[in-house]
Amino acid sequence: MSELTTRYQLLADLLASSPVLAIALTLGAFLAGSWLFRRLGQPIWSPPVLLAAVLLSLALVVLAVDFRDYRNGAQWLTVLLGPATVALGVPLYQQMHHIRALWRPILITLPIAATMAAVYAIVIARLLGASPEVLASLAPKSVTAPIAIGITEQLGGSVSLMMGGLLITGVVATLFVEFIARRLAIRDDRILGFALGINGHAIGTAKAFEISPTAGAFASLGMGLTGVFTALILPVAFRL
Amino acid sequence: MVMLRGFLVLTAFFVIGEALRVMLALPISGGVLGMILLTLLLMVRGSISDSLANASQALISVLVLLIMPGVVGVFFQADQFASEWLAIALALLAGTFLSVLTTLWVMQRAVAGRPKAGTGE
Repeated sequence: MSELTTRYQLLADLLASSPVLAIALTLGAFLAGSWLFRRLGQPIWSPPVLLAAVLLSLALVVLAVDFRDYRNGAQWLTVLLGPATVALGVPLYQQMHHIRALWRPILITLPIAATMAAVYAIVIARLLGASPEVLASLAPKSVTAPIAIGITEQLGGSVSLMMGGLLITGVVATLFVEFIARRLAIRDDRILGFALGINGHAIGTAKAFEISPTAGAFASLGMGLTGVFTALILPVAFRL
Repeated sequence: MVMLRGFLVLTAFFVIGEALRVMLALPISGGVLGMILLTLLLMVRGSISDSLANASQALISVLVLLIMPGVVGVFFQADQFASEWLAIALALLAGTFLSVLTTLWVMQRAVAGRPKAGTGE
């Protein structure tokens, strides 16, 4: 019996030092989260990434996997994040022709909206006494995740806090766009889509595709342009 | 095999982006620099190869998988920021409300205020 315990300890040590368990758990949670998302009828308030993250956290707790061991192993996955960020250039290029249809409003709105999305959050958090690390983590809250990770690392924020803020921002931005658009009597799918993409990144864009393909296209464009604009401006502005 | 060519292009642009970031001491991540270069190149060329389109589609479809390790950290490191929860919550909720309001208001004005159709092309 005690020999079995020793062997089990050996196995636990082996799995803790190898990335394979972390990768298997992440893959499993990703697939289970996607499945659950479809089963729940694709709710906007609970995107697949949130479901998958909750399942993964539960699995880590139940299996008594140390979070640092998990994070070290999962780094093998996050290596792909760089090329995946580059890949976002392809849909951006494919949506670029929509700029032609509405270039003036887009060029006026984008810099103001993308800048204010960061400024509002930073000013409110700073007035309430948040630390520089928290400010750096909240600043890219409207930017799509792979780009936002790069921004937060450049600014010296916490990637985990930024990710949590990103999820909340995506969900509430989607709700606010519906609410405010009704008040302002805005029914133009292009405006709704663009606002969803600028403020709600991938979560808002998913909602926009539910409204119409046009709204979805403008959301993709808004998300891509916001990512590029914020990534170029924020690290420079933050130093001042 | 065909898709691997697309992966090679994406990886190469990431390496170029990282090289630019380090050599020019830019405060922008290598992924974003590579993405901007790729977008500009595609705009100049005006077309995209199937292998690149497929490879980027494949990577984007598993983006959630790649960001999950970061998301999970929220549940394990949240207590680190517990004392600042009010500032964080208000910045997220009120900040997002204001930015959505600003976006919709500015965009509505900009669309309505457009000069007569046709002159804007």
